[in-house]
Amino acid sequence: MLRKELNELLTRTGPGTPMGELFRQYWIPALLAEELPENDCPPVRVKLLSERMVAFRDSEGRYGLIDEFCAHRGASLWFGRNEGSGLRCPYHGWKYDVTGQCVEVPSEADNSSFCENVQLTSYPLVKIGDVLWTYMGDAATRPLLPEFEWVHVPPEQTYTSKRWQQCNWLQAFEGGIDSSHVTFLHSGGLKNDPLFKGAKGNEYNLNDTKPFFEVADSDGGLFVGARRNAEEGKYYWRITPWVMPAFTMVPPRGDHPVHGHFWVPIDDENCWTYSFDYHPVRALTEAERQAMIDGHGVHSKNIPGTYRPVANMDNDYLIDREAQKRGETYSGVAGIAMQDASLQESMGPIVDRSRERLVPADSGIIKARQKLRKAAIALRDEGVTPPGVDPAHHRVRSAAVVLPQAESFLDSCRDAVKVTPGVPQASV
Amino acid sequence: MTTATLHLSESARAASASESRFRIDVPIAPARAARVVALDERAASVARRLAERPWAHARFYTGGGVRDGGGLLHELDGAAAPLDEVLTGSDVVVVLATEDGGRAAAAAIGRFCSRHGITTAGVVLGDGFEADDAVAALRPYARVLLLSADESDAFELLTALRV
Repeated sequence: MLRKELNELLTRTGPGTPMGELFRQYWIPALLAEELPENDCPPVRVKLLSERMVAFRDSEGRYGLIDEFCAHRGASLWFGRNEGSGLRCPYHGWKYDVTGQCVEVPSEADNSSFCENVQLTSYPLVKIGDVLWTYMGDAATRPLLPEFEWVHVPPEQTYTSKRWQQCNWLQAFEGGIDSSHVTFLHSGGLKNDPLFKGAKGNEYNLNDTKPFFEVADSDGGLFVGARRNAEEGKYYWRITPWVMPAFTMVPPRGDHPVHGHFWVPIDDENCWTYSFDYHPVRALTEAERQAMIDGHGVHSKNIPGTYRPVANMDNDYLIDREAQKRGETYSGVAGIAMQDASLQESMGPIVDRSRERLVPADSGIIKARQKLRKAAIALRDEGVTPPGVDPAHHRVRSAAVVLPQAESFLDSCRDAVKVTPGVPQASV
Repeated sequence: MTTATLHLSESARAASASESRFRIDVPIAPARAARVVALDERAASVARRLAERPWAHARFYTGGGVRDGGGLLHELDGAAAPLDEVLTGSDVVVVLATEDGGRAAAAAIGRFCSRHGITTAGVVLGDGFEADDAVAALRPYARVLLLSADESDAFELLTALRV
């Protein structure tokens, strides 16, 4: 249960809101690098944190993320001509560079300095891995670039997709730290999904439907440990890291690639779910990469040319009650990603958390909300830099391990949850 | 990104903001008969501060008198009652610990709750790991262990559980 005013605080991310200002302390994914594949390619509309922008890649390969609308008459620059190191509004020819600076106003005299005074809002756009990252906060407090392992391993070891999710970012994100739903909602995937199946850990998952949880602070957010029975005298632990504000990783299974998410608010009723898979020490196989492209694992099969899942709310997620009855899927919806999204979207655009009935197993969610709230208020009232801004906080991993019952996962997995280049993930 | 759809599916219509107005909106009764047990002195201070808040059914105790096989829990005003009498009828027990002194009590409470189907949650407060033994004693029984430097986490947990 969360009081209505706290729910408002945590879910609203537009300019000037406490949570919006919190998000503006971080580098966040703005779009996939594949969306701007070459110099002078078509611009792309981007909406983040309730701000409408357009992204483009100029003739020199520089990336720009600027106000979507021309300063002249307010036409969308999505219709712009990306040419000659700038984006030109097709209406009257005003042209902008990647910083949003107007560099040409054709109706003015050749030696006019008018355009020097015309500057659209712009944000930096930087390619790291397969993702173009932006920072939408005060330039004076711009942090160092992100160091998440998934965007720093060689290209052949990583794959990232994204999908549009039609609900507030918080209810999508909360699924990422909610380990107890896996045994139910994703039980079919543990048996069938090519990116999940075959791991010894899956047996522990399926044999013990009542996990125990330990939730502990980390420098950047939280570690959520889910514990299930293993062999006599041992526990199977799945450790999920959360780095504030919205990065989560899924504990690995066998030698499958490691996966996770970055949840990015589009506006208060929509978000982007970035989903990634990477292997710390080897290239993804062709079969693994194809499975990801086909929407297996944490990825979704999207409508070609869009980032909207093929199964979506407009077609009832292609629910298959017969597959549900046969036990192939638990909910009737196919695919891990859409199993999550279908239920999270069913809650409504912004779920009313004042009506929840949480249980102790939801402690990770309770604690995460508390950390977000405290960080947003400390930033607003005292200017405190929140956890997760420091790139050192990004160098975490998820882990899946079997430990003697007496051992603490925090003590035993200190190295396993840290990024160590050249060392494989801790996985069962 | 498309947003407009002329013929909404059942799921799209049901998930819309306008349909949220028709959700049944009746008061939610507090669901939990909770007992909060502080295992050591510092934890008892936290429990006293928590007890000042308005709760529906939560009752607060210190567990210094609990030993293997039973013993006494004390209400915050000092009145004592047998552990089994206090915990019977509850459906969640939240144990507060800040150090290892309450290890035996943690184990006894955990065992009792496990036998009687009572969900147990442990909130271990502190910057370091001064309560390692208490955590180890609780681990086999507590459905969740929240390890935190932030005392308000105990309040947030109880609030979220509607106790």
